[in-house]
Amino acid sequence: MVAPSRAPLRVDRLRALNVPQPVAVECDVEDRPQTVGDVTVATVLESWRIDDEWWRQSITRCYHEVILDGGRRVVLFEDVATGEWFAQMP
Amino acid sequence: MPQRPTSSLAACVWIPLFPLRCEEARREGLATHPTALLAPDLSRKLWQVSPLARHTGVRPGMTVSQAIGLCPTLRLCEPDPVHYDERFASLLAALNEISPVVESGELGLAYLGTDGLEGIYGTPGRIVEVIKRTMESWNVGTSEAGCPFQRSIFPSFRLGWGKGKFAAWVAASRAKPGEAIVVPPGGERKFLSVQPVAVLPLDPDTHRRLRQLGIRTLGALAALPEEAVTAQFGAAGRQLWRLAAGHTVEPVVGRNAPEPIVAALTFFTPVGERDLLERALDQLIARALKHPRRIGWRVQAVRLRAEIEGGRSWLADILFKDPTADAARIAAPLRTRLEQAPPPGAVERLVLELTAFTPGTAELQLFARDAVAAARAGQRRALESAAREIQQRIKRSCLYHVIEVQPWSRLPERRYALIDFEP
Repeated sequence: MVAPSRAPLRVDRLRALNVPQPVAVECDVEDRPQTVGDVTVATVLESWRIDDEWWRQSITRCYHEVILDGGRRVVLFEDVATGEWFAQMP
Repeated sequence: MPQRPTSSLAACVWIPLFPLRCEEARREGLATHPTALLAPDLSRKLWQVSPLARHTGVRPGMTVSQAIGLCPTLRLCEPDPVHYDERFASLLAALNEISPVVESGELGLAYLGTDGLEGIYGTPGRIVEVIKRTMESWNVGTSEAGCPFQRSIFPSFRLGWGKGKFAAWVAASRAKPGEAIVVPPGGERKFLSVQPVAVLPLDPDTHRRLRQLGIRTLGALAALPEEAVTAQFGAAGRQLWRLAAGHTVEPVVGRNAPEPIVAALTFFTPVGERDLLERALDQLIARALKHPRRIGWRVQAVRLRAEIEGGRSWLADILFKDPTADAARIAAPLRTRLEQAPPPGAVERLVLELTAFTPGTAELQLFARDAVAAARAGQRRALESAAREIQQRIKRSCLYHVIEVQPWSRLPERRYALIDFEP
């Protein structure tokens, strides 16, 4: 990380960081992620739900922090409104 | 550069609502009414609220109309930050008479290092008594010095003594007005264990999570395994746990207070136009940088004060992450401040103070007194030059830095963003 430049801050110069990436997830009977793409989920560390921004466009997500086979840790979430799954960096 | 003096034994002097107390002290009858102080910016929102006003539901951050709606008898005060700053500086100077190690926090909060003072004054209890007496004479002294004080702000101070700044601060925050709590050496853990978690430097979200977990005292937090707290709250959680368990003893760090370089300009007629103020600012910076004491030193902190029509004042403090002797770079943040939060009236007098310095000049590395500072300046210039070269070659910026956007957001993608690095 470098020191902030002195250029004026403009919203159009911002790039999103940690944007959710669509992934294919299969769940078990308890709706917990079992496979992510071709990789099996080794452990589900934590699960939580977010209901936010109900005053404009409601965001409802079910998050699962998982460890995949091979040791990689990712955060998955299901967009409850659309049923789509996404992955993010923890 | 001389090393700053430190002390692990600390006394904490705390005057809650210091700016409001200063106003109450110089205006007769104010203390007996619900009072609020406006924020020293253009938001016209409440900054500090007296306990009487708080009883009626008035809270800091409210707009004036909201507050008046709740409390029609509310008395509003325009802020006078220069006055508060002067009063606080005089308090620090008085405390410096007791100990050479004095560290200032926010307005009204100061720490004294008391290592070695037992040889002069005796037990911690006696040291606290000396501080009390000094506070009293400070208050009386300023009243006698021509300050039209109608009421003493002395009774509202609180004192705490303990090992490390945190224990001293918690003791002061639990003390009754005008009284002191001494945490005996070795008794920090016992003292802290019964205190509420609210005394920790918590963000509201962490506070809420701790409450939901049923953790209400520092003892309950310290009883948890350190690893579990770290896993749940991250590095900040580890810091909180160590504070709660009394494992962190943060020393008081004294300040080196060099005599500031001051340049001032009095206007024939009060000036309200920003252009004129900015031109005056440029003149003041140029004059201050030419001062013989500045040569060979880079400026680390500046303060711009404005005396405003009607006895009000305006203050801007700037601390440079990258100290500089370049007039344009010193002016830039002050201009931004003048643009975003200008003085709330026409300015009669403008005063620039260069208050802290770093040895070495980036412009003359060979002759710099501080090789580390010069090297840092050199590295930065090299980085800026490399970034410019990359941008010229491939016609777009490939370097970014991470900035906080909504770090509190529950949605991870909203917390941080990348922005082009443009030197």
